[in-house]
Amino acid sequence: MILYITTIVVLLLLAPLLLSFIKSLKMWLLFKRPTSIFQGYRNFSKLLSKETIVSEETSAITTYAPFLVLSPLLVTMFFLPPVVQGAFYVSFVDAFTITGLISLSTFFLMLLGLDSASAFGGMGSSREAFISALVEPAMVLTVFSVSMMAGDLGVGQAGVNLAAHFPKEHMASFLFAGISFFILLLAENGRIPVDNPETHLELTMVHEAMILDLTGVYLAIIETASSVKFVIFASLFVSLFLPFGYTYAAPLAIFVFIAKLFGVAMVVAILEVNTAKLRLFKVPNLLGIAIVFAFLSLITFYVLGA
Amino acid sequence: MFHFDTLSTVFIALIILGVIPNLFYSFGYLSHIQRKTHYLIHYFAFIFSMLGVVSAGNALVFLFFWELMSLSSWQLILTEIESDKTIKTARFYFFMTHFGFLFLLMFFLVVTNGNLEIGFAQMKEIAATFPYPSLLFFMLVLGFLSKSGAVPLHVWLPYAHPAAPSPVSAMMSGVMLKVAIYGMMRFLFEVLYPWPLEWGIVILIMGALSALVGILYAMNENDIKALLANSSIENIGIILIVFGMGMIFDSLHLKALSSFAFIAALFHAFNHMGFKSLLFMGAGSVLHQTHTKNMEKYGGLIKSMPITALTFLLAAISITALPPSNGFLSEWMVFQSLLGSTHIENMSLKLSIPFAIFALAMTGGMAIATFVKAYGITFLGLHRSTNAKHAHEVNLLMRLGMILMSLVVISLMVFTPFYITWFDKALASLGHLSVIHEIFPEGILNMHAIGMKGGIVSPLILLGALLLITSMMLFAYKVFDVKKRMYHTWGCGYRTSARTQYSSAGFAGPVRRFFGWLYKPKESLSKENVADHATKFSDANYTVEVKPLFEVSLYESSKKMTNLLSYWVYRLAHFEQTRYAAMIFNLILSVLFSYRIFSQEFSWATLLIEVIVMTISIKVLVIGEKKNKGSLR
Repeated sequence: MILYITTIVVLLLLAPLLLSFIKSLKMWLLFKRPTSIFQGYRNFSKLLSKETIVSEETSAITTYAPFLVLSPLLVTMFFLPPVVQGAFYVSFVDAFTITGLISLSTFFLMLLGLDSASAFGGMGSSREAFISALVEPAMVLTVFSVSMMAGDLGVGQAGVNLAAHFPKEHMASFLFAGISFFILLLAENGRIPVDNPETHLELTMVHEAMILDLTGVYLAIIETASSVKFVIFASLFVSLFLPFGYTYAAPLAIFVFIAKLFGVAMVVAILEVNTAKLRLFKVPNLLGIAIVFAFLSLITFYVLGA
Repeated sequence: MFHFDTLSTVFIALIILGVIPNLFYSFGYLSHIQRKTHYLIHYFAFIFSMLGVVSAGNALVFLFFWELMSLSSWQLILTEIESDKTIKTARFYFFMTHFGFLFLLMFFLVVTNGNLEIGFAQMKEIAATFPYPSLLFFMLVLGFLSKSGAVPLHVWLPYAHPAAPSPVSAMMSGVMLKVAIYGMMRFLFEVLYPWPLEWGIVILIMGALSALVGILYAMNENDIKALLANSSIENIGIILIVFGMGMIFDSLHLKALSSFAFIAALFHAFNHMGFKSLLFMGAGSVLHQTHTKNMEKYGGLIKSMPITALTFLLAAISITALPPSNGFLSEWMVFQSLLGSTHIENMSLKLSIPFAIFALAMTGGMAIATFVKAYGITFLGLHRSTNAKHAHEVNLLMRLGMILMSLVVISLMVFTPFYITWFDKALASLGHLSVIHEIFPEGILNMHAIGMKGGIVSPLILLGALLLITSMMLFAYKVFDVKKRMYHTWGCGYRTSARTQYSSAGFAGPVRRFFGWLYKPKESLSKENVADHATKFSDANYTVEVKPLFEVSLYESSKKMTNLLSYWVYRLAHFEQTRYAAMIFNLILSVLFSYRIFSQEFSWATLLIEVIVMTISIKVLVIGEKKNKGSLR
């Protein structure tokens, strides 16, 4: 139980660090002077101390939606697979619940975008709705495929099973599912090539457009939500698709896990530097690839058993 | 005559749960209706007939109440005749519902041997001796699914349901569609029981198509009631997906999975009754205040109509299957039964179930987009018209109706185990396996799936956790007492106004563009350019119109076919006498030739010669010269 709480706290504390790490790594790769990797914490504390400006055009949705964006993600943090062998994990939650909770958070984010009565908010919501509608099938199929390889639909149990018995005999379908899940990680977190988190240009923004009118505590909450979401996806990816280092002693295992999270962040950063953002109507092609890989994974599992 | 078993009581409860809040709402709405007596008579006849259908004990009573239900709802559509369109819609509804009735009548005439007063058990014996059970199945499908609006029998639904007064729309979408599902269930279980595998697949395919088509058209709809009606097609599709899955599992002797799937179907039927009634009531309240169904004229209604907005939000969360709502729980069950396909031995079937999963997941994603649009454009932002500006909260009775309905929705969320136990009992009474101990093996907190290890959800814990964490954050926010300042939304230096907001058509834009091959939208854009600048304009008008593909391809092209056919019959009746002689000559020729082909020895060479001779003689003698090719149509 102590390990369980510790990992959640560590992951939560780590959340802003990961996104700042990606940002500074990208700047370094582009030969700019990188920002500090602790910039996330600085932003957070700065935003907390600022006053909140709320639009006169908005309604009660803006008052409550930021909390409802963050809380499903915080609840999801409690359901992640264990990091250390023998640690407590929640066994009564399956993968559909997790995808549902993430959708709940996105739902309120989209409402938040529409509430400010600005063209940007509506545009962001519309695009986000479009992208997440296409993410959903790929997500469900990937989850289905992984759960068959792990022999369990429960996220925690699946993580444990995969760590105890790596599915060497199903390597092909495992790999396909991994590729699909990684594309979903990029899409759901609004990274390049789906969305550019750094731009404020109306042609390209998706996530930023929805929160353009927020500031102060509300913005801090939303920023935290997006970093928590990245941590959730990264740690799901790490525990389901890179399940090694789980059997070590507690501090070492946690350290290995964090190192793997930074590895994922590094891959994301390198991908972002090397690809351009896709046009909105090219995004379905990328998500189509994810869907195809998920199907391929299922078919190879069923037909070839590989 | 009447027959009450657990299945009947389940559906009676569904009707009563749907009707009681509706009664309050309906009386609140009554001031809005001009022909009050007409409305009330048919309203109560409608309720009464639905209760009659689900408790009927023989075919005659069933058909009587079925017809009464159709006729009373047909008259209810005609309560408010706004334009010729309403009359046309009502006529279409009348035609479609009797199209279905015809097949039901044929079904009953076959399975009762003409004696319509015998019970269901005797019907089963007669049906067992009937040599073509698939024919009976298709009669049932055409009869009941034309009522519940499954693709391709759904075209009337997005017109008929919105045309009725809002309480009736709520009842038609929420309750009447479920009565059709009841009919399917009753006669498939009790009369046509051992199902071949193909029947389940037919239902599954129809369900998957309905779900996708329904939600895609809902997404693109700007009329709020038509949006909800299209989403009803989607939800019926979801029910049919899992219903078909149940049939497939049953014919493959996976009895526990089959029961689980049917429980999911019943549960989703209940949930859809709850949230769709609530959504239609909310839409009705908005319509009542703004006097328009066009979503582009709404906006900002959450400020003036808080209760409507709150109940609508609850229903929207539920219909988009977001946890911890009841809609999520039933959709979760549907997903779990689809995942149970891992137990199917037949490889080709096993490989095709993921496509249904894909369709369902896509539907879920699109549903989120659709209801974000429905909620956001209607209730959030600034008022888009003066009508919306002058809207205020509806009267007490209507509010009470909506609150009661949201209580029904919440009860479905909180008392899930109770409902599921009851559905399980209903299925057990129809001779299916009872699976309640597998679904709730360790008390009522955790709900387990059958067929997939680790498929567990605990609705109450999720609800508790979400409430706890949200309220903790809100509490912290209150404690810190953050300074708050009000200011306008940033509009790039311009003033934010109602015109700068995203519109409903704009919100659906990306989806419309991506699914352009399905929608085939007719777009037109006219601009008043300023001083010949290509990008500067003082006034612009963009319209987009989408015609349902199925209506165009199935209904209108069959209309065209009939026209063409009747034209040729007309031509045939007005030939000259020499033509008739030529035709008789050709007929004799073809009879002789075919006699030779069928009874004498066959050779390709002579066949070829005969075909050439026939073609020439028909071309020269019968068709003759075509004078004006263009005037054929």
